[in-house]
Amino acid sequence: MAKVMADAPQKGGFSFDLCRRNEMLVKKGIQLPGFRKTGTTIVGLIFLDGVILGADTRATEGPIVADKNCEKIHYMAPNIYCCGAGTAADTEAVTDMVSSQLQLHRYSTGRESRVVTALTLLKSHLFSYQGYVSAALVLGGVDVTGPHLHTVYPHGSTDTLPFATMGSGSLAAMAVFESKYKEGLTREEGIQLVCEAICSGIFNDLGSGSNVDVCVITKGKTEYLRNHQLPNPRTYISKRGYSFAKGHTEVLSTKIIPLKVVEVAEADAMEE
Amino acid sequence: MSIFEYNGSALVAMVGKNCFGIASDRRLGVQLQTIATDFRKIYKIHDKLYIGLSGLATDAQTLYQRLVFRHKLYLLREERNMKPETFASLVSALLYEKRFGPYFCQPVIAGLGDDNKPFICTMDSLGAKELAKDFVVSGSASESLYGACESMYKPDMEPDELFESISQALLASVDRDCLSGWGGHVLLVRGPLKEEWTKSDICSTKNYSMLSDQRIMK
Amino acid sequence: MGDSQYSFSLTTFRHAFSFIRPHTLAHHRNLSPSGKLVQIEHALMAVGSGQTSLGIKAANGVVIATEKKLPSILVDETSVQKIQLMTSNIGVVYSGMGPDSRVLVRKSRKQAQQYYRLYKEPIPVTQLVRETAAVMQEFTQSGGVRPFGVSLLVAGYDDNGPQLFQVDPSGSYFSWKASAMGKNVSNAKTFLEKRYTEDMELDDAVHTAILTLKEGFEGQISGKNIEIGIIGADRKFRVLTPAEVDDYLAEVE
Repeated sequence: MAKVMADAPQKGGFSFDLCRRNEMLVKKGIQLPGFRKTGTTIVGLIFLDGVILGADTRATEGPIVADKNCEKIHYMAPNIYCCGAGTAADTEAVTDMVSSQLQLHRYSTGRESRVVTALTLLKSHLFSYQGYVSAALVLGGVDVTGPHLHTVYPHGSTDTLPFATMGSGSLAAMAVFESKYKEGLTREEGIQLVCEAICSGIFNDLGSGSNVDVCVITKGKTEYLRNHQLPNPRTYISKRGYSFAKGHTEVLSTKIIPLKVVEVAEADAMEE
Repeated sequence: MSIFEYNGSALVAMVGKNCFGIASDRRLGVQLQTIATDFRKIYKIHDKLYIGLSGLATDAQTLYQRLVFRHKLYLLREERNMKPETFASLVSALLYEKRFGPYFCQPVIAGLGDDNKPFICTMDSLGAKELAKDFVVSGSASESLYGACESMYKPDMEPDELFESISQALLASVDRDCLSGWGGHVLLVRGPLKEEWTKSDICSTKNYSMLSDQRIMK
Repeated sequence: MGDSQYSFSLTTFRHAFSFIRPHTLAHHRNLSPSGKLVQIEHALMAVGSGQTSLGIKAANGVVIATEKKLPSILVDETSVQKIQLMTSNIGVVYSGMGPDSRVLVRKSRKQAQQYYRLYKEPIPVTQLVRETAAVMQEFTQSGGVRPFGVSLLVAGYDDNGPQLFQVDPSGSYFSWKASAMGKNVSNAKTFLEKRYTEDMELDDAVHTAILTLKEGFEGQISGKNIEIGIIGADRKFRVLTPAEVDDYLAEVE
């Protein structure tokens, strides 16, 4: 039976079983939910020795901040990283998928991945979904042909740029880049400029916020500077906090289940 | 009305010292009408791993069945329980598979890892994971839960203290949400303490039920 | 279905035909009266006449090693690599037919990635071995294909510590403390049985591996005509460079 097959472990790909039902619900006047977005500021620039990527760390669900310190700079390959904006699940899934394809490609070629390879894999996936996989990306890395920076739009179009911004805070960040970017920035100048651009997003765009993540990629070396700046520390900590006396909450029934921790037996590797 | 609010729910998980708590309300409704007042939204995967599913109840139950199926297969194949992180990735993969026709569920996952380190996480209905060190919330009462937890959560709470905090956060929040309520289920799972580990190696799960309003009882 | 090289099984096809002309189509893909599958016997012959490979599980790691004899001195030895990575913490070597092993390695790598993408956790060695063995089994029972002419030695290090597996063309697999396969199996195994100790360190295991290979080696052994792969507690599988192999060879002498 088809249903039984559907429950067997899947090898991948999308399943459209629930689409009809969900369409029916919409027709009946039920509103479909919004998804977790990374209303975001992500940027990248090319400096003297390589590429610097930057991102804020706010994830939103409508007007609510769902995560105050999420990670938006995704691993693609040891020498390639990718910032994601748009629907959080899509950016995560698409970067994971491509990074897996790159790994297999590295195994079979025995060479370091190239940024164009990642770019082509990303854009062909996004193009084939006609923009419905809503991931807007800033892809950067250093390979055998030098440093590269690209932007990828949800429909699959791409740009190759010396400095790039994406997400809802892209205008605020681009304003900083346009006025201050120059060729041949040093590492320190580059990081400084990226942080400034991200902070411009954090403070001027409501979809972006919290901290600054930075990733510096140079030939043969990648530094992931998680929470490089923390411009929005929590200020409203109550010293005493709330404390409730034990037994304050009225309890109807309690069940305590002691759990025997099973001594893990020496794993029997032989199965035959 | 959003489909997430059709049945109504409130879910929260909090991390304490070598323990975690996961709690839900007990109401099952159809829009504003209450259907049941002892509805379970927290499901057990194994002794040290629980998942709470908010959102559309029918989808929650279907998703739960598929997750149990997958966990049992994993158990047979690998002769071990899933780590909470691993399970979270599985849930995420199952949800993303239905990217274009999603289950209307927002899961909350809480568990103890191999070293009894507490792990909590939530994700949206497409499977975008959000890991947190303190607390996670979901359901129609999530907005008020965010507020309550932000003020009531403290790091490194002992199980008893954690129980009061998570319960009060839940009760305070469902009182500001028409669609969830009727008390709650609270589960506390405590990892064995270091010194206990060698002699008795016990970890306990407390399963509380409570009612927010005494008058309803009497 | 997309994963398969053969999108439909030819067995069905043959069954359909056997209704009409059973006698003309009955052939060697069946169990012989003695209960043996002849094709698997042939595959094992291919392995048995292949170049010697061996593996040793040490207390803190695993080593796998193989002869790399080339058909002619004109072949560029740097272009041949017999030990390959399946994941960053699992390596594999074969005895038998090189091209067959590449098919298996490709399928296994893909399987490992699929596992990783589902669970965000590296595939355990036992699971990858089981998957690889399942593919090999499938090729003993499907129509239109033949069994793989290789045996594999899989070396890995995961939460269950260092592990060494041998997988045979029939799809059967075993965990070993030390094993050998290929041309000199019996000699190599006898040698390993004498030299193996439970508390052996990885470095000692490499030495023993070299000595075992040396036993049945025709000609002068060097960094260019053997290959060694090791994995230690860092869980990073690595194929030694010819220079590193030469250093080990110098230590052994």
